[in-house]
Amino acid sequence: MRSENFNIKMTKEEIINKLTTIVKPYVQNEEGFKNISEDTDFIKDLEINSANLVDIILDVEDEFKIEIDNDSMEKMLSVKATVEVIQDKMNA
Amino acid sequence: MVGNDIVDLNLAKIQSNWQRKGFLEKLFTDAEQNEIVNSENPFLQVWLFWSMKEAAYKCYTQEWQRRFFGPKKFVCETITKSEGVVEFDHQKYSVNYQISDNYVHSIAFKKESKEMVSELFLIDKNDCKTKITNQNLLAYFGFKTELYKNEFGIPYLYQNNQKLPVSISTSHHGNYGGFAFTLKNE
Repeated sequence: MRSENFNIKMTKEEIINKLTTIVKPYVQNEEGFKNISEDTDFIKDLEINSANLVDIILDVEDEFKIEIDNDSMEKMLSVKATVEVIQDKMNA
Repeated sequence: MVGNDIVDLNLAKIQSNWQRKGFLEKLFTDAEQNEIVNSENPFLQVWLFWSMKEAAYKCYTQEWQRRFFGPKKFVCETITKSEGVVEFDHQKYSVNYQISDNYVHSIAFKKESKEMVSELFLIDKNDCKTKITNQNLLAYFGFKTELYKNEFGIPYLYQNNQKLPVSISTSHHGNYGGFAFTLKNE
């Protein structure tokens, strides 16, 4: 029997998977979404409307049960930066 | 320096839910939130403040070459039915705004310039809206003028690989597009 992973820490892949589901409804460039990776920029690559960035931030707070302060929010323009903020807050 | 931002109100209605829990708190200062909830038309006030913040941000980034998402730190105040100010990081921007039933258009600048040009237009085609917006702006400039954005998303005009000494800003949302520019880097 395969042993279950009981790590409390979510892996980066798991975080990216959840984040991908969160951003999907706001994406306006489907081609960019198909190629989503750590380097993906929400505005440049996915053409997400800047007013929807706040929805992503609120969705991330709900999904990961974290609170994102204004300074962290400033960085959340890419998958990579957002994953870093999530990891940082989950480990806090 | 000039920055502009358009909100298509019909699209904003379906694209965002400003009444969502946490939405106002994340984007607006306490004073702005107060003004929004006490406004005759809170929805319109939300998008007016938002477009003022975005226009000022576009002005700021041209000068400081930064890219970030910090709308709450851009503090808005309306002065008249068509003018306001936005303050951020010890910088003060004047804003001229225009509201219709269908859109809000804000233009932010540091110094008023007689040479400032701005336009707002309807984009009814499903064509690439960025392309249409850019073409309308480029029509003011000579043949072979091109628009490129740098790593911070700041647009510049080039002729024969030479950067033109103008500050430009483009915006489109839903059925509306617009731009603003000043002929000198003011």
